[in-house]
Amino acid sequence: MNEPIYIVEGVRTPFAKAGTTLADTEAADLGQTAVRLLVARTGIDASSIEEVIMGCVSQPADSANIGRVIALRAGIPDLVPAITVHRNCASGFEAVTQAAEKMLVGRGHIFVVGGVESMSQIPLMYSHQAAKKFAAFARAKSLPQKLRVLSGFRPADFQPLIGLQLGLSDPVCGCTMGQTAEILARDFDISREEQDAFAMRSHHKAVAAREKLNQEITPVYLPNSKNGRTFMDQDNGPREGQTMQALAKLKPAFEPENGTVTAGNSSQITDGAAALLLMTGSALKESGLSPLGRLEGYAYAGLDPSRMGLGPVYAIHRAEQRTGLGLKDAEIIEVNEAFAAQVIACQKVAKSQAYCRELLQRQTPLGEIPDEILNVNGGGIALGHPVGVTGARLVLTALKELRRRNANRALVSLCVGGGQGGALWLNRN
Amino acid sequence: MNQNIQREVSDAGIAILTFDRPDSTANIFDERTLDELNDHLDFLEAEKSLQGLIIQSAKSKIFIAGADLNTFGKEMSAARVAMAIERGQKTFDRIARLPYPSVATIHGAALGGGFEVALACDYRLASGDSATKVGLPETKLGILPAWGGLTRLPKLIGLPNALEAVMSGRQYSAEQALKRGMIDSIVPRKQLTAAAVRKIQQVEGKKRAPRTHLSNRPPLSKMIKAQAEKKGMARTHGHYPAPLKALEVAYASLNLPYEQSLENEKNRFIELALTETAQNLIGIFFLQERAKKLKLPKELGPAPAAPRQTVHRGLVIGAGVMGAGIAQWLSSRGIRVILKDIGPAPLGNGMRSIAKLYGEAVKRDLFSEVEARNGFDRILPIYEEVPLREVELVIEAAVEKLELKKQIFADLEPRVRSDVVLASNTSALSIDAIAESLQHPERVVGIHFFNPVHRMQLVEIVRGTKTDATTLNTAIAFVRQIGKLPVLVKDSPGFLVNRILLPYLVEAVRLFAAGYRIENIDRVMVDFGMPMGPLRLMDEVGLDVAEHVAKELESRLKHLGPLNDTLNKMIAKKWLGRKSGKGFYDYQSGREGKTNSELGDLQPAEPEIANEGDLRDRLVLSMINEAARTIEEKVVEVPEDADFAMIVGTGWAPFRGGPLRYSDHLGIATVVSRLNNLRDRVGTYFAPCQLLAEMANRGGSFYPERNPIPSAETEPQFEKGRHESDA
Repeated sequence: MNEPIYIVEGVRTPFAKAGTTLADTEAADLGQTAVRLLVARTGIDASSIEEVIMGCVSQPADSANIGRVIALRAGIPDLVPAITVHRNCASGFEAVTQAAEKMLVGRGHIFVVGGVESMSQIPLMYSHQAAKKFAAFARAKSLPQKLRVLSGFRPADFQPLIGLQLGLSDPVCGCTMGQTAEILARDFDISREEQDAFAMRSHHKAVAAREKLNQEITPVYLPNSKNGRTFMDQDNGPREGQTMQALAKLKPAFEPENGTVTAGNSSQITDGAAALLLMTGSALKESGLSPLGRLEGYAYAGLDPSRMGLGPVYAIHRAEQRTGLGLKDAEIIEVNEAFAAQVIACQKVAKSQAYCRELLQRQTPLGEIPDEILNVNGGGIALGHPVGVTGARLVLTALKELRRRNANRALVSLCVGGGQGGALWLNRN
Repeated sequence: MNQNIQREVSDAGIAILTFDRPDSTANIFDERTLDELNDHLDFLEAEKSLQGLIIQSAKSKIFIAGADLNTFGKEMSAARVAMAIERGQKTFDRIARLPYPSVATIHGAALGGGFEVALACDYRLASGDSATKVGLPETKLGILPAWGGLTRLPKLIGLPNALEAVMSGRQYSAEQALKRGMIDSIVPRKQLTAAAVRKIQQVEGKKRAPRTHLSNRPPLSKMIKAQAEKKGMARTHGHYPAPLKALEVAYASLNLPYEQSLENEKNRFIELALTETAQNLIGIFFLQERAKKLKLPKELGPAPAAPRQTVHRGLVIGAGVMGAGIAQWLSSRGIRVILKDIGPAPLGNGMRSIAKLYGEAVKRDLFSEVEARNGFDRILPIYEEVPLREVELVIEAAVEKLELKKQIFADLEPRVRSDVVLASNTSALSIDAIAESLQHPERVVGIHFFNPVHRMQLVEIVRGTKTDATTLNTAIAFVRQIGKLPVLVKDSPGFLVNRILLPYLVEAVRLFAAGYRIENIDRVMVDFGMPMGPLRLMDEVGLDVAEHVAKELESRLKHLGPLNDTLNKMIAKKWLGRKSGKGFYDYQSGREGKTNSELGDLQPAEPEIANEGDLRDRLVLSMINEAARTIEEKVVEVPEDADFAMIVGTGWAPFRGGPLRYSDHLGIATVVSRLNNLRDRVGTYFAPCQLLAEMANRGGSFYPERNPIPSAETEPQFEKGRHESDA
């Protein structure tokens, strides 16, 4: 990359398990909370922003192009355009890399990017069949006409489609995300105990890192909550004292008979938002701000949708081809925990020459993803995985961690529903 | 010669009268305008080929703001008033009787006579602009709509809506007016004329057929009248005759021939206009107009060039009751606000109360859901230090501790732009003391709001000894920008309103401690015309706040007399007034409005027998004496300031015209002799201040003999702009 791309500052809301503290807060409210604090904290002139780019997987029906809704409600001037981007679980990455690509071709110097997701508020829907009948009823003029249409309704028409479930299913391979994790567990012989142990560590790390994580969080205010709570300023996903026994009690969520993937060793369904300020080197210099770090390189890669959990290794491989940076160069690594099985599978593939040859057509293994530097503050299993947000959250968390460790390089990666992976290299200098 | 009304006739034979008063932003009905209108009517009646008439305004914010109040303000006689009323009635009648349809196209405020002329037309179209307001606010001024309004409105929209409109004097938005039938439709401003032409062509030159409302006939009409009467009595406590007279006229109009109803309007109007009540209420209107044009005192030299631009971004420090209230008000006026406090907990409470204010405003139809949310979004709650380069004005509303405030201002000074005004909302601390240690004390000023901020129109602008003219001008422009009414006061203990109020509240507590019953103490003052009694007021303010202000002022005002420990004892029991559920009254559910039953040990066992006259004197004269002191010490420049501030800031019996006007009414000599009497009987703190004593000696008064009102430089009109306390 020619002109360096800086991540100047970032902030996120606390992550809340779906259906809990932030359940009644609209996605746009979450998004604007992060964006406006970012602008206020950095003191940038909002009219100097080239564009606002927000990742979001399930855009609320009443906030089409939610990126624009967020920008306007956060007080960013009308004249600054905004888009919403969607690359499933990597939507937060996509926001970062789209901005980077624009900056690299000289289309602007200052971008506000991020992600937003209210998984609590993903709606239930009527089937297309039922919707057609509703439309016909609305068109019917006379009473007999209306009665005729009404008589055509069947109980099944009133069975809602669950938006959240549909979103977590792959229409191409026909698997749910959980089933893709079961496939990986079988392919790579990953036991239930291995997965549960990984999940437990995620919780322990996240609980221990609470103070650190608070550094990247700004509170969400709850002016209308019914229970008297007026704000939320901490993640509520991490469980104090998570144990193997507790995890072992959970039933497999996707394959009740023989499965190993449970709600406990999968990522949580979560509400939240994050925002990052990106600048070119020249803009940064002019602003006088000191950055968190810069984007050194990145790649997305595609793979078999039914094994989407391996996406990170494909993307890390591809990023290596582009940047020359390999796993050994990373001082910390984030592989978002969609499922414990999926991360463990990535670790196994990365260090295995055979798998790397078979899957990535490379002669040498990618290398180790050591536990000691992997997801050091916990991952999606403990913190939650608001799908449109996680990419931006990983960038933010990793950069802040680099500063705390006085380290330079971080590799952050994600698996993506639909069979993709994304990997970003971040450098503090 | 400049014309107030232009006339053109279109090819289609439609006449258009355009009201456009020269060199003014408002149209009003003064004598000349009525003359011109009659001249045009001569033409309109004579010209047989005309198909219709359109009445419109060329102004951007005002259709027609009403009658010229000066007509009723000075040198009034029944005969003169009668003439003015008849003149308007006859003129509007000519419009109503034109042989072809007429349409008023309303953009901007159509109030009082301005709406009555529209009522004389067959149809009313209005723009949906926020400047568009229609209504008949006359009863607020102690008079009533007598140019046909009371006769025409009930027939048009039915008795219930008509009574609500005339008795409350409320100003309606286009949407609200449409809902009630006061206008026929809402049309974008640019298309008003075209729509009016279409309307005239649509009805093919026919007049509008009258409509009968079921509610205008007995028995419904009778029930509605009785209900409105009851409500009106409760609201006015018998002090304000106008709403009830308006009710009578409107009701009678249902069964009277048209001419007789107009006659009725006129006669009742004359009765009202000649009362002292109407004079005082109209006087308040002029005082409000005066406040809108508040100027700097002369000793500050020539006013600096135009004050700084409109404020778009403000910083409010402190998310307590006042800070949150101020932030909400500013945000509702389009200002982006950083609301700063020390952590998420106070900010969470502040944001919650702001959301509640917006929610109530939506319920009351003052904002749409979207407007309310946009307003709410303009507030950024924050507790970290952020760059303040974009902030254009600061209002500090932190806890009332001098050291804390000094610290806040010292921190702020280097962080905001050098031209930013630093204002404190302190109610009891000295602006000079707060500014003392700053490098640039000249940019510190008090901008003191009253609680609840969204309701109280008054804002005291407190001038410290070092505050410079630029700062004052900016503060005045800002207060005007946000639709509040400023009064300029000198930095002095309690400033103006709290200073005058405090001796009264302290006296009420003394009366309580002496064994008078709470109900008696409060009732005397409600009967006097205050919106609530002093003990209830303290409950609303918060006993802790009242006690704090009292302590602060006691140390700075030597004449205040002894404080007793009643408040302290109550505060110790966590009885802080409404906010804690208990004070002098009980606010817990089931006991609302009853007095706190556990106050027994704070009073002597034997209750004191209430002598109403005595109670009233002790309470009212406390205020009068203190108000006189504010003049003596030049806290304000003129008695108008004190009276105006007390009425607007505390609801001080408006029909009495304020404490100083009222003391003129009593006679200064009487005031002084009663004060002397109280001094001898009750306590030396009742001793009349020097100014009163001296005035009594020379037979002086605060105001010149009636013609009291500094009307020369006011725009006489009903229009009251947005300060009509809308959320």
